[in-house]
Amino acid sequence: MKANFAILAAGAALMVAALPVMAHHSFAAEYDSTKPVSVKGKFVKMDWVNPHSWIHFSVTGDDGKVTEWTAEALPPNGLYRQGWRKDSLKEGEEITVTGFLAKDGTAVMWSSNVVRADGTRMFAGSPNGPGGPGGPGGAPGGGRGNGGAPKE
Amino acid sequence: MKATTLAAVAAAVFSIGAAAAAEPYKAPRTADGQPDLQGIWEVKTSPDKDLEKAKGLIVDPKNGKIPYLPAALAQKKENSKNSEAQDPLNKCFMPGVPRINLLSHPFQIFQTPNQISIAYEYIHNFRNIYLKREKHMEQIDFWQGDSLGHWDGDTLVVDVADLNDQTWFDKAGDYHSDQLHVEERYTRTGPDTMLYEATITDPKTFSAPWKIRETLHRDTKPNARILEYECQYLADEAAKAKK
Repeated sequence: MKANFAILAAGAALMVAALPVMAHHSFAAEYDSTKPVSVKGKFVKMDWVNPHSWIHFSVTGDDGKVTEWTAEALPPNGLYRQGWRKDSLKEGEEITVTGFLAKDGTAVMWSSNVVRADGTRMFAGSPNGPGGPGGPGGAPGGGRGNGGAPKE
Repeated sequence: MKATTLAAVAAAVFSIGAAAAAEPYKAPRTADGQPDLQGIWEVKTSPDKDLEKAKGLIVDPKNGKIPYLPAALAQKKENSKNSEAQDPLNKCFMPGVPRINLLSHPFQIFQTPNQISIAYEYIHNFRNIYLKREKHMEQIDFWQGDSLGHWDGDTLVVDVADLNDQTWFDKAGDYHSDQLHVEERYTRTGPDTMLYEATITDPKTFSAPWKIRETLHRDTKPNARILEYECQYLADEAAKAKK
């Protein structure tokens, strides 16, 4: 966790400078597959949007500082097929999101799974990412629509 | 010993091949007697990433390379340099044919005596394949073209013309002109599999026709249905920025 925040601090300047230039980036462009991460926090809300949904959650560091994280997940149709519903996560509940860190060091990650406090694991995206060999590699620009089990 | 084993293997392989050839799968029939292609279908691979890199997808020519004319090859290379930003799909445009069938999104086929319709999950596209019309529309281009179908035995053959020059074949920048003509073939190969073939002709872009082949898989889950996938331009950037 501490290591994550070190990366976060280093990337803060980049975050300010970054402007959205296109609708979608591939997993390889956005995330570092050599940086698997597990981040625990409190669920804030979901953005059920295409090409990918976003899980918003807040993380309290050892120093008490709260950071708002976002985790990229399958689009609504893919999440639905994995059993997700609008009421799957309750605001304020503790979740642990596993996946991969963003390359730019911001508090953004690709989510593979969301684990609830009772240990329930919810599949949120391929461990290979949207552009990975078993991942949501489809359209548009990498947003695999049906979000089935990892393929190939 | 080795030679004997090889011969035995060869004989076995031959007999399996012969048996398969002798008894092709017989598709069930619709009420009016057409081979029944109805159901929800989807590719299981992601050929849309790059047709030339999708294993075994391009079956003609044998080298698996799209036979670009020299100037067109230069344009393809240009497209591939910044393909993510240039891909028309990333701007929410319709995918065209055959790309629409190669996206990792399911589609549902419906049949009537005069018309076969395909409803796509991907940005609520649909295609009407007319079985009784003989001529394409003239002097008009559409994103998904105009589809005329007929049966060749148990294979649905779809002639697609009137396609515009705005779509790509894949994320890698493979493209075409408005001279594009696609002949699709849909053949049931089992209860849950269908062979999809498309022969692509475009004399302004390619030196020869080329052909792709892919297997479509039927969604056999109970209550299977297509859902919705809308294209939301910049939605994820907005979601990320909103926090």
